[in-house]
Amino acid sequence: MSKSPTMQSLMKEHWELARTLRRLEIHFDSERCRGVWQCYEVCPVGNWAPNYNRMVATFRNGKQCIACGACVLQCPERAIELRIPNA
Amino acid sequence: MATVFMKWLEMRPQNYDRGIRLLTLGRLELLQAQIADRLVGEGMRVLEIGCGTCALAIAMAEKGAQVMAIDLSPTMLAEAERRINQVGLEERINLKLMDASLIGDQFEAGSFDLVVSSLAFSEMAPQARVYVLQECLRLLVSDGKLAILDETLPERFIARLMVGVIRLPLRLLTWFLTRTTTHHLQDFESMLSNAGFSEEVVISHLGGSLQLIIASPADKVASYMLPATVLGRLRHRTTLRTLLLDLWATFFRILPPYPKVNPGLYVVGQPDPDSPVLITGNFELTVRRLVRATDNRMDAWVLVVDSAGINVWCAAGGGFFTAEKVIGALRVSDLEGVVGHRALILPQLCANGVDGWRIRQETGWDVNWGPVRAEDIPDYVVSGGVKTDAMRWVQFPIKDRLEMVTVTLGFYSLLIMLPVAIFWRTLFWPILLSLVGLSYFYAVVLPWLPGRDGLAKSVPLTLISLVGLLVYIVVWDHLLGQHIFNWVLGLTALSVFTAAELQGMSPLMRGEQGNWGWEAVIGAALGLTYWLVPYALGWR
Repeated sequence: MSKSPTMQSLMKEHWELARTLRRLEIHFDSERCRGVWQCYEVCPVGNWAPNYNRMVATFRNGKQCIACGACVLQCPERAIELRIPNA
Repeated sequence: MATVFMKWLEMRPQNYDRGIRLLTLGRLELLQAQIADRLVGEGMRVLEIGCGTCALAIAMAEKGAQVMAIDLSPTMLAEAERRINQVGLEERINLKLMDASLIGDQFEAGSFDLVVSSLAFSEMAPQARVYVLQECLRLLVSDGKLAILDETLPERFIARLMVGVIRLPLRLLTWFLTRTTTHHLQDFESMLSNAGFSEEVVISHLGGSLQLIIASPADKVASYMLPATVLGRLRHRTTLRTLLLDLWATFFRILPPYPKVNPGLYVVGQPDPDSPVLITGNFELTVRRLVRATDNRMDAWVLVVDSAGINVWCAAGGGFFTAEKVIGALRVSDLEGVVGHRALILPQLCANGVDGWRIRQETGWDVNWGPVRAEDIPDYVVSGGVKTDAMRWVQFPIKDRLEMVTVTLGFYSLLIMLPVAIFWRTLFWPILLSLVGLSYFYAVVLPWLPGRDGLAKSVPLTLISLVGLLVYIVVWDHLLGQHIFNWVLGLTALSVFTAAELQGMSPLMRGEQGNWGWEAVIGAALGLTYWLVPYALGWR
């Protein structure tokens, strides 16, 4: 476990991380949403929109998502996750 | 800068203008023209302190101003009179032989719309400066302006040292010749604000040693004291240092060590306890762009948080800019004792790493996610914190693409061109031109190339570059088969590289971290092809 990292292991780790980042998708549990809209406040690519009628956020589409994780971090209800699909 | 020269010039007024032009490398004229253009209008009443040969006074009179020009040198005034007669502006310019300290005795309060002075304040004793400034305030109408064009002592130590070293022998010589000396203006800002002016515009030339300061009577005459924990006031200035830093940042921004700002609490303008609190990282360029966007446009507290000298987006993503760092900076700066409200404005692009809820819960400060770009901060604040979608979405416009492609080129062209210069010297210029051409071409056409990320976009870019090669062969030069083969490989490599690397220069495309792996794989494949295929074809 406590092996010191080698150049190889570091590169492998980096590569795995990069692979993971590429495949991550937003998973939104809309049941939990209370309409705080922090996701809308922080998303740099406009993936979230406030729904003023139902006081929830809506997820537009994942195409532009860059998996930065801002919405995941700022959601007080932990309603948003970044996941690798089918894993 | 050259006191002796100035004293000598003053004794020979005919040469004065020519000499001054030389001494300031023409910048003085430029700034004087700006005064006449920007500040002077038809029928304005202007007082010029230390008019010399009246070059500026004549320029202002030509704009329709009524100028009262004073100077304490009779020879200068004689030359001035001759020139004024030459251009026929006797009606518009009144000359008066007098010391600047007597302006309060000679003119009525509120009798001027504009007071200008070029290279005169540095000749006065410090005490006289304060007094004359106070008198200027009295002589000006309430919406009047004060424009001072003068030699200043640069803020930076190195620049100061250079100015000092050059000046010392000249000062000594001046003293022996004329028993007088001049001083660069020092701490002139505080002198101005003590006299009741608020500075509006500062334009610097010659490494900050020649400045045009435009000020107007301040609303709040009470002198302004900064709280003890404030490290200083951030100003938007162009100096030799910022020019050098910009030059470095244009090509080598991604190379450490990153220029840093001391973390801590600063002010922009003259904030009061109700003014907004802006939080940012301590990358020098980040802070400077924030200041450029806010200085002279708003008053604010700026809390610079230690982000290891990295921009906020990358620092937050990499764990260098965190809620903990922000909370620590709040404690250290005693911001609670300085401002009356409890609202922070954080850059939106640090939300990927700074936990807003942790700050809210542990400190009681409210976290507002400000706009993506610093330029939008004044509008965002004026609107009471309304963030339009244009402020919240990241764009990668042509201007930014060109800037960022230059940044990548600076470093990576070194990486590529150094081996080329050593091993393929004859191909240096063709390869450099291909790299630079491809990079800027890619930056321009990026939005129209198909593909989700840089690696995918490298496919169409490669195709285009190969079409370019084909056109070159058909139109200009019939290359040998082997050369064509080499160029196909080379252009493919450069295209993949260019497209894959620019991806990391904007938050708009994801997965950039994995590109180097693919670049290595593609590079190895191209290298193998370059090495093996000639054997198969019998070229080698």
